[in-house]
Amino acid sequence: MVKVTVTVDDQHVAAIADVAEALRATGMQVEQVLGDVGMVLGSIDDGAEQSVRAVDGVQSVDRSLNFQLPPPDSPTQ
Amino acid sequence: MIDQTLPMGADGAGQTAETTGKYVVVFADVDANPARMLESVLGASSVANSRDFADQEADATQAPATVFAELGVAVVAADPDQLSALQTSPDAQGAILSIAPERIYHPLQSTGYLEGYRDAVADLAGRLGAGSNGSSAATIGGQVGVAQFPDTATASWGLQATRVLSSPQSGKGIKVAILDTGFETAHPDFVGRNITLASFIPGETPKDGHGHGTHCTGTACGPKNPSGSRRYGIAYESDIFIGKVLSNSGSGSDTSVLGGMNWAIAQGCHVVSMSLGANVQPPHPPYTEVGRRALDKGTLVVAAAGNNARRHERSWGFVGAPANSPYIMAIAALEQDLSVAYFSARSSTSGTGGQRGGQVDNAGPGWQVYSSWILPQKYHTISGTSMATPHASGIAALWAQKTGLRGAALWSVLAQESDRLYEPAVDVGGGLVLAPQ
Repeated sequence: MVKVTVTVDDQHVAAIADVAEALRATGMQVEQVLGDVGMVLGSIDDGAEQSVRAVDGVQSVDRSLNFQLPPPDSPTQ
Repeated sequence: MIDQTLPMGADGAGQTAETTGKYVVVFADVDANPARMLESVLGASSVANSRDFADQEADATQAPATVFAELGVAVVAADPDQLSALQTSPDAQGAILSIAPERIYHPLQSTGYLEGYRDAVADLAGRLGAGSNGSSAATIGGQVGVAQFPDTATASWGLQATRVLSSPQSGKGIKVAILDTGFETAHPDFVGRNITLASFIPGETPKDGHGHGTHCTGTACGPKNPSGSRRYGIAYESDIFIGKVLSNSGSGSDTSVLGGMNWAIAQGCHVVSMSLGANVQPPHPPYTEVGRRALDKGTLVVAAAGNNARRHERSWGFVGAPANSPYIMAIAALEQDLSVAYFSARSSTSGTGGQRGGQVDNAGPGWQVYSSWILPQKYHTISGTSMATPHASGIAALWAQKTGLRGAALWSVLAQESDRLYEPAVDVGGGLVLAPQ
């Protein structure tokens, strides 16, 4: 499984719950539906990207980014 | 600011032909006793004083540290731990104006090392505080009237440089979100403030267990008259929204960051400050969309350009995600003389990729920035585009209050009113953000 962020296109943001449902139907494990920014976050199987991308209302599918701050005692942050 | 692949701070400095591996420390006060301070940090008897050399040509190639007392300058061979100690020691706060990798200067004539060295130090003294960034002396020397902004008893240098102290605005009525490591909820400087907190890190409360979030919040929203401290905060009457999107160990992901952005927009925040990033050069599509949608909803998102440059090694870095998204304002870091800090990432341009995004938009104070910190320490001085970002965010709140403008219009006025700098646009964009007067 890989963590992905699905960007819902402008036309479908208002109906994001329906898009999330369609994403679940592809096998995506939906963890968050963010209505104000139009994002659906969750996990998909390796190789399932194509079927997720094909869902109506999906603008892009991207692997989740990770962020890491330096430790608190680092002089540069 | 986040840096996944490169060492932070000056750890990577000085191992090329351009620098010596030593550091030039410039002291704020020539009459102070820099030798004693260095000895306390580096160890006794490791400090040679130029006053011991009748001809002033101290042999800096031998001693671990050589103090040029008349100039208020020292050259120090410090390992990364010692360098960190120098930058963070309470004794050094206010006493040290800058710490920069020592450059190798190439004399025009074939003179000896010591003469060239003496000239270099004299040049350095002439532009006190200038340059961790490896800019050539000629570039800086050619500028007339370059300002210097040291911290004073009343205010941090960044607030002076951005003209916050004389601004009649306070951020009243403006909602500012800080998406970071949370906030030190027991900090005495924020008693009585309107603070809304949320955590997007499973198993962690919004309380800051790192310090980074408290520092950024302090710069953007700290008080006008902190008790027993100089002023360091900008939008002192703003409503503060703390979204913890980075854990106490400093880590986060799209899940936490996008969750925090969604929350901030839903809360109607006018400004969202994100001193975080990943070293990924292509814009991450979700942040491009979120940034655009945020602007449409009246929310300006400001983010750190990144600390992945090593300018003294001729490595310019690039703006990382999410700041590289074209609808998120990317902020570079400046030093006290308004030159770009050595770590501050440079814009990607159409010549280096052809992709929309990756531009530095504006710049803010990001070198030796004093602000609030988790207790019991209470205050801390650190550097980074992470520190420059909340300067821009706090000043955006002042402009939002003054003009009533929101979203893209607020972005526009912030950019339009910024001070143009003697630095390339690829490094500082439109220049230094300035508070409304």
